[in-house]
Amino acid sequence: MTTSALRILVVEDEVLIALELECLLDDLGHEIVGVAGSSAEAIALGLSTAPDVAFVDIHLVDGPTGVEVARALSADPHTTVVFMTANAKRIPDDFAGALGVIAKPYSERVVAGALRYVADRRAGLAVTLEGLDGFRLAARPDEPDARFSPR
Amino acid sequence: MTHREPPRAGARELGIDAGAFVAAFTASPTPMVLTDPHQPDNPIIWANDAFLALTGYAWEEIDGRNCRLLQGPGTDPHAVQRLREAVSVGRPIEIELINYRKDGSSFWNGMTVAPVRDATGRIMHFYSAQADMTGKYRHEVAMKDAKDELERRVSEQTAHLRAALEQKTALLHEVDHRVKNNLQVISSLMLLKARRTPQGEARDALQGMAERIGALSTVHRMLYSAGDVTRFDLREFAEDFVSELVAGLESDRTAVSAEFDSIAVSAAMAAPLALMLHELATNAVRHAFPDSRPGRVTITAQRSDQSLRMLIEDDGVGMACGVPNPAGFGRSLVEMVVRQLRGVIAWSDVSPGTRVEITVPLDAISLQSALAERAGGAEWAAR
Repeated sequence: MTTSALRILVVEDEVLIALELECLLDDLGHEIVGVAGSSAEAIALGLSTAPDVAFVDIHLVDGPTGVEVARALSADPHTTVVFMTANAKRIPDDFAGALGVIAKPYSERVVAGALRYVADRRAGLAVTLEGLDGFRLAARPDEPDARFSPR
Repeated sequence: MTHREPPRAGARELGIDAGAFVAAFTASPTPMVLTDPHQPDNPIIWANDAFLALTGYAWEEIDGRNCRLLQGPGTDPHAVQRLREAVSVGRPIEIELINYRKDGSSFWNGMTVAPVRDATGRIMHFYSAQADMTGKYRHEVAMKDAKDELERRVSEQTAHLRAALEQKTALLHEVDHRVKNNLQVISSLMLLKARRTPQGEARDALQGMAERIGALSTVHRMLYSAGDVTRFDLREFAEDFVSELVAGLESDRTAVSAEFDSIAVSAAMAAPLALMLHELATNAVRHAFPDSRPGRVTITAQRSDQSLRMLIEDDGVGMACGVPNPAGFGRSLVEMVVRQLRGVIAWSDVSPGTRVEITVPLDAISLQSALAERAGGAEWAAR
């Protein structure tokens, strides 16, 4: 286990999902810097907390604004954005700057695996997505990671 | 139609009086006219009653006039030009153009114009017969209108269908999204409650339920992500499911392996099968190896002709020695699901361990997709 604690922003309008995710991330040893349910809240929290990782749902209180949020948060090169959605078809081709997507409904194992991947990648370690069916990377043909994106 | 050759025998040689021709032409229902090119402006010198009826003129009104009095604004100048050229070189011509009656109404005039020569070949007259072609043109226009109308309707219908399909697709996405989101909410709800429940039976039950929902969630995730909502690859599910199972183990004393044929089953069979496999495998992992006993769980699935055969084997303590599950919920769940799938299940104690064999008939959709695959890997099975 190479995982060091990550500072994570959760952008999710479904309170129950957000709460359970908080518990899970806490169990995994990470720090939650904030939970946002709307795009404005998410972007403001992003600016004030500069998180390592942001989990972003597509559908928020103010509509399908998660894409916008991803674009705004990933403008900070320090922040790794990962979509977490049941509506992956809404994600634009360029992934709005996000690294990838965790498909809902997800399992704890996939969330843990995706975070391990992100932490290793941020630490400049060799990374693999072996066995993480629920986590899909954005297709970026110019980066070596493209070979890991399934199908 | 060719008036170029003079008749081999004149009327007189045939014993017919010239007056007979005049009488025949005068009484003919075909409009006819005769002009004299030797007079200035090639005037009309004779016309029959049919011609007068067609054009609406009295004989006095056209006597000595040139035929162009029938032309008007709708007459094609190119057609007139062709007619003029043919007359000037003495060549017969067939042509259709718009002419006007005395009252100003127009009609399509299909006419033949031919020179009439004497015995020496000199052009004496021009003879013309007319036919009102308006009906034919009206028919053509009507046909074209009908065709345009048909095309318009077809494209309208196509647009309707396309819109309906788009709506249907959007609806499917929406429902798919909601199903997944709700599964996530249900799962989160269970796990939240489990976290706040002290360790023990209640907490285990909540955890167990969350895991069952997890198995169903995996099915839904895979079912819609491939774009094919009717079929489900059992092997793909097994790979993911074994990863989940192994991740949940506290130690690596238990080895889990799965060998699945690539079997496409229908969406209707996917959820019950997933639930059943989850139950049996989880049960084996949890109960076959008490007291840190090492062991192995093997899951295999094969397709035989019309059915699916699954085997879950472990080399654990066996059913007789296992701690009996107080409610026996897992086992009865499995038996219910097998009954739903109209299959048969056999539990046996093998020493060492337990062996569960399930055979379920494949439904029509599953069989169809299997056929399609055999036929050469067609990606989509006919619905």
